Amino acid sequence: METIALITAFALILIGLFGILSNKNILKIIIGFSLFDTGLHVLIVTVGYIKGGTAPILDKVVGTSNAADKIVDPIPQALVLTAIVIGLGVTALMLAYALKLYQAKKSLNITDFKELKW
Amino acid sequence: MEFTVSKILWTLLGLFIVLNWGLIMGGTMRKIGARVAKRHGIPIYQPYIDLVKNYAIRTQITHGIMFYLGPVFRLSGGVGIFLFLPLIFGSDHWSNFSFSGDLILILYFQFFGMLGMALGAGEGGHPYSAIGIGRGLSQFTTIEVPMTLAVIALAVQYNTLSISEIVAAQQGGIANWTMITNPFATAAAMLSLLGAFGHSPFNLVKAPNEIPIGPPTEYHSTYLGVLRTNAAILHVVEAALFMNLFFGGATNWFELILKTFLIYFWSVFVGMVFPRFRIEQSVRWFVKIPLVLGIIAIIIII
Amino acid sequence: MVNILSILTMNMISPINIIAVSLGIAFFMGLLGNKAQRTSYILLIAALLFNTIVSLQWLYGLANNLVEAQQIFTAGYKPPFSINLLMGLNEAVIASLINIVGLLGAIYMGSTLKKNGSGSQVVFLVLFMSLNVIVLSRDLFNIFVFLEVGSIAVAGLVILQKGVKAVSAGFKYMLATGIIAGIFLIGIIFIYRFTGSLNLDQIIQSNPAIKQGALISSFLILIAIILELKPFPANGWALDVYQAAHPGLSAILSSAVGTANLYVLYKFTGMAGDSLMHYISLIGIVTFVGSNLLGINQKKARRLLGYSSVGQIGLLIAIMGLLPHSNSNFKLIFFGILTSHYFAKAGLFWISGIIKAENIKEWSVLRKKPVLLFLFLSFILALLGFPPFPSFWGKWQLVMELSAQGQFAVIIAILVGSFFEVVYLMRWAGYSIKLEAGTLPEIKLSKYIPVILFGLGLYAVGYFVSQSVEFGNTINYLPLLVVAVLLVVDFLPAFVKNSLSILATGWFAYLLIPGQDTIKFIFTIIFLVGGILTLIPGFQIKGKREGFYPSAMLMFGGLALLIEASNLLQFFFAWEIMTIGSYFLIIRGKKSMPHALSYMLFSVGGAYLILLGFGMVSAGNSGLSLDLLSSIKVYPVLAMSLMAVGFMTKTASLGLHIWLPGAHGEAESDVSPMVSAILLKAGVFGLILLMLASGGEQNSYSGLFYVLGWIGALTALVGNLGAIFQEDAKRLLAYSSIGQLGYILFAFAIMTHMGWLTGLTYTINHFMFKAILFLAIGGIVMKLGTHNMYEMGGLIKKMPFSFIAVLIGIITLAGIPPLSGFGGKWLFYNAVIMKGWYFQGAVVFFAGTIAFLYLFKLIYSVFLGQLKDNHRNVKELSIWFLLPQYILIIGIMVFSAKPDLILKPIGNAIAMAFPSNQLTWEGTKALSTLGYWDATTIMVVIGGMFVVLLGWLMFMSRKAQKVEQFNMVYAAERPERPELTHVSHNIYAGYNKALGFLVAPGITNFWNYTTNLVESTGNFIRRIYSGNGQSYAIHLVSYIVIVFIIYLTAI
Repeated sequence: METIALITAFALILIGLFGILSNKNILKIIIGFSLFDTGLHVLIVTVGYIKGGTAPILDKVVGTSNAADKIVDPIPQALVLTAIVIGLGVTALMLAYALKLYQAKKSLNITDFKELKW
Repeated sequence: MEFTVSKILWTLLGLFIVLNWGLIMGGTMRKIGARVAKRHGIPIYQPYIDLVKNYAIRTQITHGIMFYLGPVFRLSGGVGIFLFLPLIFGSDHWSNFSFSGDLILILYFQFFGMLGMALGAGEGGHPYSAIGIGRGLSQFTTIEVPMTLAVIALAVQYNTLSISEIVAAQQGGIANWTMITNPFATAAAMLSLLGAFGHSPFNLVKAPNEIPIGPPTEYHSTYLGVLRTNAAILHVVEAALFMNLFFGGATNWFELILKTFLIYFWSVFVGMVFPRFRIEQSVRWFVKIPLVLGIIAIIIII
Repeated sequence: MVNILSILTMNMISPINIIAVSLGIAFFMGLLGNKAQRTSYILLIAALLFNTIVSLQWLYGLANNLVEAQQIFTAGYKPPFSINLLMGLNEAVIASLINIVGLLGAIYMGSTLKKNGSGSQVVFLVLFMSLNVIVLSRDLFNIFVFLEVGSIAVAGLVILQKGVKAVSAGFKYMLATGIIAGIFLIGIIFIYRFTGSLNLDQIIQSNPAIKQGALISSFLILIAIILELKPFPANGWALDVYQAAHPGLSAILSSAVGTANLYVLYKFTGMAGDSLMHYISLIGIVTFVGSNLLGINQKKARRLLGYSSVGQIGLLIAIMGLLPHSNSNFKLIFFGILTSHYFAKAGLFWISGIIKAENIKEWSVLRKKPVLLFLFLSFILALLGFPPFPSFWGKWQLVMELSAQGQFAVIIAILVGSFFEVVYLMRWAGYSIKLEAGTLPEIKLSKYIPVILFGLGLYAVGYFVSQSVEFGNTINYLPLLVVAVLLVVDFLPAFVKNSLSILATGWFAYLLIPGQDTIKFIFTIIFLVGGILTLIPGFQIKGKREGFYPSAMLMFGGLALLIEASNLLQFFFAWEIMTIGSYFLIIRGKKSMPHALSYMLFSVGGAYLILLGFGMVSAGNSGLSLDLLSSIKVYPVLAMSLMAVGFMTKTASLGLHIWLPGAHGEAESDVSPMVSAILLKAGVFGLILLMLASGGEQNSYSGLFYVLGWIGALTALVGNLGAIFQEDAKRLLAYSSIGQLGYILFAFAIMTHMGWLTGLTYTINHFMFKAILFLAIGGIVMKLGTHNMYEMGGLIKKMPFSFIAVLIGIITLAGIPPLSGFGGKWLFYNAVIMKGWYFQGAVVFFAGTIAFLYLFKLIYSVFLGQLKDNHRNVKELSIWFLLPQYILIIGIMVFSAKPDLILKPIGNAIAMAFPSNQLTWEGTKALSTLGYWDATTIMVVIGGMFVVLLGWLMFMSRKAQKVEQFNMVYAAERPERPELTHVSHNIYAGYNKALGFLVAPGITNFWNYTTNLVESTGNFIRRIYSGNGQSYAIHLVSYIVIVFIIYLTAI
C-alpha cells in the first residue's frame, strides 16, 4: 500500500516535471504543474501514513488516550491542505499569466516569448 | 685642489696648445685626404686662415637667443671636456680641473655641446638642421652603447672611474696598456670612435655633399669661427680621452701629440676607404659588431 | 533622543504584530476596494512604517543589550506542535533592512501603486509580511509557505510594469519558483520523516547530517533555497525579472528578497554539515565569478544590475560556506558586503527608474543632476568594495580570514570575480561621466528621497562597519572630511575651491612633516608640496570646475594617508582612496574615457595583488603592522612578488604600462603633472616600503630583485623608444614617464647603498623636471588647442619663459652636467658597476641616450623651427602656470649646486639597511669606491667657462643683425609657409626603420587579446540565456541533477 502510493507519487511528480520541461504549450505546462503538485501532495500524505491508522480526528473510537496508536500522523495531513491551497494559488496566477501572454501575442507557445535574453 | 690664478693660467696655456695642435692636425688630415684623392689639397695652415677670416667677417645675422647661444654651448662643450680631462699623466699643471669629476662627467659633458648646438641650429629654422640633428642623434644613440660597455669593462678592470688612476694603471710599457690587457673593450671603443668623429662612413649627419647648406651656412662668420675653434679643440681632447683610456695616456706633450694624431688618423683612414652609410644602416651596423665586441669585453671581466 | 529610544524599548512591541498588523491591514485594504486608492496607500505606508519601527526597536534594544532575544510560540504550544518565531539580533538586523527598503520602496513606487489600486498594494504588503516571516520563523514548513506566498506576490507585482516583456518574465519566474517549491517541499517532507520535527532547532539538534536519507533531504532543502538565490548558470529567469519588472520591484527583489533568502540559507546551514558547506561555498564562488564574467559585455542597465546582483549574492553564499559561522569576524564580513549590496543595488535600480535609460551609454543624463551622479558613483564604488564603503571592510576582513586559513585559491577566485565586476561597472561609470548627456525626465521627490537616503545610509553604515573591523579605528578620516566639504561647496567658483584645496594640502603637510624620517619626508614633499605646486595652475581656470577639487583632494588625501600609514589596513585604505581620486581626475580629459578605464583596471588589478600579498603577510602573524612585511611567514617570495607587481601597476612597469600614455597624455593640462610627477611616486613609495622591509642589503629575495632590475631596465628602454615615435607632445612625455620610472625601479632593485641613492635622486629629479615639462607643455597644449607637435613650432619667440623652463627640464632629464640629472647618472654608473649588473646597466644607458631623441624632438618641434601662421598672436603662459615651474627650477638649481644637502641625509637614512660601500663626502665632493664627483665645483667651472665664452662671442658678434623668420639660405628660394620648412613629423624615420621593431605593440596586443578572450567567453556563455522560459526550467533541473551527482560522487 505504502509502496504503491510512493511509486504513484513519484511517477506523478516525474510525469508532471516531464510535462513542464517538454511541452511548448503554456497551458500544457500549467497542467504539468498541476500533476507535479498532485504528486507532491500524494507524497506528503504517504510519508505521514502509519500502517492501520485512521483519520486523525478525535471521536468515540479514537480518544485522547489512545490517539497516538490509532491515527496516522496528523501533521502531514495539515501540511497537505496548505500545500493544496498554495498550489491552487500558483495555478490560478499562472493561468492569469497565460491569459495575459495570449492577449499580448495571440500565441500560447512558450518559445514565442523570448524578447529578453543574454 | 683650488682655483688659484696660476692653475687657471696653466690651464689656459694648455688650451692654447691644444687649440693649435687641433688646427694643425685638422689641416694635416685634410691634406692627407686630398693626396689620397690625387688632389693637391690645401696648405696645412689653412685652418688658421679660415679661422681668422671667419672671425673677421663683418656682416652678421642672428635668428634669436638660442641661435646665438648654440655656438656658445658647443664651444663650452669642447672646452669643458678639455677642462675636466687630465692631459699629461703625472703633471699637476696639465691635469686641469679633473679633480671635480671622473670619467662619467666627461662622458656626459659631451652632450652639453651637442644639445646646445642642436637647439641653436634648431632656432635657425632651416629644415636641414633638424634633419641633420635627427640623424646625428639617431646614430649617436647606438654609437654610445659599445662605448659604454667598453667604459664599464675598463672601470671594472681597473676598479676605478678616475681617468688619472686608469692612466696610472697602464704605466710601465705597452704590455700594460688597455689595448693589450683588454683588446675587446678597446676594439669596441675604437669602432665607436669612428662614429663619434663623424667621418665617412658615418658622416651622413653632416652629409657634406647632400646637405651643403643648413647649419654650416646658417652659422657664418664669428659663429662659424667659434664652431671651428671648438672642432679643433674637441678632436684633440676626444682623441686624448681615448689615449688615456686605452693607449697608456701621455707623460709629455710629444707623446700626446703623437698618440692623438694616430687615434684621429684611424678615423680618417677608415673614412678614406669606406663609402657613406645611410642612417638606418649605420644604426644597425653599430648594434652588430661593435656591440658584440662590447658584450664580449663585459663577459670576459665577469 | 536616547532617552526616548530607551523608553521605547521598555515596551517592546512583539514581532508577531508585524504579521498580525500586516494581515489585518491587508484584509482591510481589500475591503476598501479599488476606489479608495489614497486611503489604502496611506494604510500601506502606515503598515510598512509600523513594521520598520518594530524591527528597529528590536534592533536598538538587542544591540544595546536592553532586551533579550525573544522566542514566540504561536497557539500557546511549544514545537513541534506549534510554529515558533525568533527575534534575535540577527533577525532584527535583517528584518530592519527588509522593512526599510519596503517602506522606501513603497514611497518610490507610490504613483504606480496608487494607479493600480488597492489590489497591488495588498500584494505589496503581503510580500513584505512574508519576507518578515521567513526571516523570523523557525519552522521549515512555515518558511516554505511564506516563500511561496512571497513568490506569488512577486509574480503579481511583476505585471505592474506594462508590456509583454514583463509578463513573459513573470511567467518564467513562476515556472522556476514553482519547480523550486516542489523540490523544497519534497525535502521538507522527508526531513520530517527522518527527524520527526519541522522545527529548525530540533532538526539541527537531531543532526541530520549523520543519516544518509536525512542528508539527502537536507541537500534538497538547501539546493532549493540556493536556487531561490539564483545561482549561476541556472538563473536566466531571475535576470529577466530584474530587467523587465518595475525598477522599484527590481530593487526590492535584489535587496529585500535577496537578503531574506540569504538569511534563510543562513538558518538552514546549521543542518548541512561540513561536506555540504563546502559545496555551498563552491556554488557561491562559481556564481560570483561566472555571473560577473557574463556581465562584462552587457549593455542594458537593469540586466547588468541583475548580473551584478546575482554575483554579489553568490559572493555572500560563498562567504556563508567558507567561514565557520562561529568565526568572530563572520558577521562583520557578511554584514559589510551584504549592506553594500543592499544599499547600492536598491539605489541603482531606483536611479534606473528615475532616468528611464535602458542602455548604459544613456546614463550620462545623470550629469544633469550632480547629486544623482554622485550617488550613482558612490553606489558603483560600494559594489566594487572601495573605501569608505562597508564592502571594503568586509572584503578586507574576508581576505584576511581566508589567508589565515590558507585558502589562497579561493581568494584568487573571488578577486578574479571582483575584477570582472570592476570591468563593467567602471566602464558604466565612465560612460556616465563622459558621454553626451541627453535630457533628464522630471524627477518626483518621492523617487528622489529614497535614493538619497540610501546613499547616506551607505556612508553611515560604512563608517559603522569600519569601527568594528580590527584596526578600523586607526583610520584617519580627516582627508575624507575635506573631500566632503569640497563636495558640499562644489557650487562655488573654482578659485575659491582651489585656495581651499591648497590650504588643505598645506595643512596635511603641516600635520605630517614633524618627526618624519628622511625617506618619508622626501615623499611628503613630493606628494604634498608637489600637490600645492600643481594645484596653483588651477587658478587660471574660470567657472566652477565641478567635481575637480573633491577628486584632487581624494588623491592628495590618499597620498597623505599613504605616508601616514603604519598598518596594512591603513595602507590599503589610502591606496584605494588615492586610486579613486586619481581615476576621477584622469577621466576629466576630453578623450580620457577609455584610458581612465584602463588605468582603473590596471590599478584595481594591482590593488588586488597587493591585497593578496597583504593577506599572506598577515597569515601566521598577529596584528597588521607594516613591520610585518619583514617577517612574512607564508610563501614570502610569492607574497613579495605579488605586492611588487601590484605596486608596479602604478609605476607602469613593462607589461603593465599600456594604460599610462593615454591616461597621462589625454588628461587635463594641470592633471598630467599631478599624475605623472606625483602619483607615479606612490608606486615607488610602495616598492620602497617593500624593499626596506625585505631586509635591505641582507635580503633573501635576490632572485626577485634581479628580475625587477631587468624589468626596470627594459621598461626604461621601451618607454623611451615609445616616446621618440610620438607626435603628441603629452604622450611623448607620458612615455618618457614610463621610461623614467623604469630607471627608478632598476635603481632600487640594485639594493645597495649606491643603488638607493640613485633611485631616490632619480625620484626627486623626475618629480621636479616632469612637473616642469608637463606644466609647460600642458599649458601650451591648452593654449594652442592641439597636442600635435608638428602643428607647433617657433614658440620660443612667444614664450621665452616657458622655453627656458623646458630647456632646464630636459637638461636635467638628459643628465647633462651641471644640472642635478647628472648626479643621478653618476650615482647610477657607480651603482651598476659596483653591483655587477653590467648588461642591465648598458640597457638603461642605451635608454638614456634614446632620451636625447625625444627631448630634442620635444623642444625643437614646439619651441624652435618655424612659427606657424595661426600662432602669431599667442602669448606667454599665464603666471599660474609659470610660477610653479620656476619654483621647481629653483629646486633643481639648489639640488644641482648643493646635492650634499639632500644626499647626505638620505645616505644616513638608508645606512641602516645598506651599510656597505657608502658614499663619502669631502665637503662638496662625493667619493665612491670607484670615482668622485664635485657638483659644486663642476657648477662653478662650467658656469664660469660659459660666461667667459658667451662674453667673448658677444664681443665678437656685437653687430649681429636680427633677421626675419624666413631669412635663411634655402636652395636659392624663400619658403612661403612655415609648414614647408618645419621638419618634425616622423623625424626619426630612419631610426624607426632600424630599431622600430623593438616597439612593436606586442604587449598591447597581448592585453587586447586577453580582453577579447574574456569578453568573447562571456558572450559565448551568455547565449545559454536563450530567453525561453522552458530552457530556464531545464537549467534548474539539470543544475540540481549535476550538483547532486557531484555531491554523491564526493561522499
